[in-house]
Amino acid sequence: MDATDLPAVLNANPGLDALLRKLQPLLDSGRMDNVVDLLSLSADLVDLLDAAMVEKLSGLFEEATALSWNLGNAMRMASAQTRNEPTPSLYGLLLLLRDPQTRRGLALVLRILNVIGRQD
Amino acid sequence: MARHIVIVGGGVGGTMLANQLVSKLYPEVLREQVRITLLSNSPDHYYKPAFMYVAFNQFFQEELKRPQRSLLRPEIDFQVQEVTRFDFTGQALHTRSGRCYGYDFLVIATGCVPAPERIEGLQQAGDHFYQYEAARQLARRLASIDKGRIFITVSFPQTPNVPHQCGIAPVETTLMLDDYLRQRGVRDKVEIIYTYPTTAQLLRNCLFLQRPTGEILPSIFEQKNIRFQRGFTLSKVDPEQRIAYSEEGDAQPFDILMATPPIRAVDAVLQSGASRAPNNEGWLPTNHETLQVYGLEGVYVIGDTVDLPISKAGGACHNQAPVIANNIAGEIRLGSTCAVYDGKVQAAAQMGLGAGMPLCYDYRHDVLPTPPTKLGSLLRNGFNRGLYWAVARGML
Repeated sequence: MDATDLPAVLNANPGLDALLRKLQPLLDSGRMDNVVDLLSLSADLVDLLDAAMVEKLSGLFEEATALSWNLGNAMRMASAQTRNEPTPSLYGLLLLLRDPQTRRGLALVLRILNVIGRQD
Repeated sequence: MARHIVIVGGGVGGTMLANQLVSKLYPEVLREQVRITLLSNSPDHYYKPAFMYVAFNQFFQEELKRPQRSLLRPEIDFQVQEVTRFDFTGQALHTRSGRCYGYDFLVIATGCVPAPERIEGLQQAGDHFYQYEAARQLARRLASIDKGRIFITVSFPQTPNVPHQCGIAPVETTLMLDDYLRQRGVRDKVEIIYTYPTTAQLLRNCLFLQRPTGEILPSIFEQKNIRFQRGFTLSKVDPEQRIAYSEEGDAQPFDILMATPPIRAVDAVLQSGASRAPNNEGWLPTNHETLQVYGLEGVYVIGDTVDLPISKAGGACHNQAPVIANNIAGEIRLGSTCAVYDGKVQAAAQMGLGAGMPLCYDYRHDVLPTPPTKLGSLLRNGFNRGLYWAVARGML
């Protein structure tokens, strides 16, 4: 295509015209290379992603969201219950231990500490 | 006295709605003015769309289920109870174990079940991928077929303008099947025939339930040497001769009959007397904007049990749950509903084992198909393996 044909092409293609107008400031400031490099990097990342990689990343996502969700739920519910009750006495604290769910939670925390110790 | 909201069904609709209701009504939950109960017949939650991957040996059972309790906020009272009878007049539910639950608001989220027995011979000779065991049986057959004919059929409910389960699934699995047989190196010896019934909701003699997608399917199928046939409404199957017969008078032989079978609501809904759907299919008469059940006070329905013209799929539940949560909150706080469902459904369709197509539609707009891409498939895989569980927890 001859360079003199370019305005005709642009007139016939308003989408291309709009895109070039958007890109002009990047061309003028010499930053167009960064955008092309970024596109290249994105293409490399897509090439790297396969079913196995997606499975691993998705697993990590689920573990992280489930953990933050569980901790957030526990914190929110415990805060609300604590806010609604008077400050417990020492005996009141011990009474909390009579609740089997408190004991299950305590056992969970102790086991977490146990596993942390095992991995250390 | 606390208002009691009971959700029946621990599928994706019931689970995400229960979590969203706690969030929406948290001040009332804290003041013990509202309590939320979820009843399910299973202690486990299954990611049902993964069953179609099971048919191609892409998913283990252990990967597609989680304990139901682990997906629910702690404020929700979760009980493993199978509801056997709805007493709408007495605002009560009766369970198989003999317990009775009263309610102020009820959400029916019991889904639908495949009913291949409704077509003569289909249960004996047909295969499908809408339940785990059925998908495993299909997987064993697909893994061992070396030559022959795989015949694909789709059966719609007889209730007018109600779709079969997950509208895009027959197309997805046809394209996955083509890729799978190529991977196995037997595609050139196995013929694939995709068929569609004469009546598909409001369309006639097409290949899909929405026109824009139906119009691009012939070129996609031709590129992959998949044969296709319009106007095949499965009426009978001969398990001995392995022949599928159509209402239109056709007879087609098969080695594997991969069928999207008829579906119906669960037994308790069928027996509730609330449905006006023909053929004892059980779909509940649903207000298409508020998602309340017509004629019943304080009763809502989400997901596959509706009689709406939109897909019976998780992508519909995802947009129905916030509407129901807002409407129940509106009834409690303002005395009236305040949210409207626009029929939106979104999904990432698996268009072959390595290609995906995000899609979106609503009551007024059909899916505008785009070229399937690798990124679309990665998105779907990411959803299958991780994002789904955050959606069920009501986080996304």
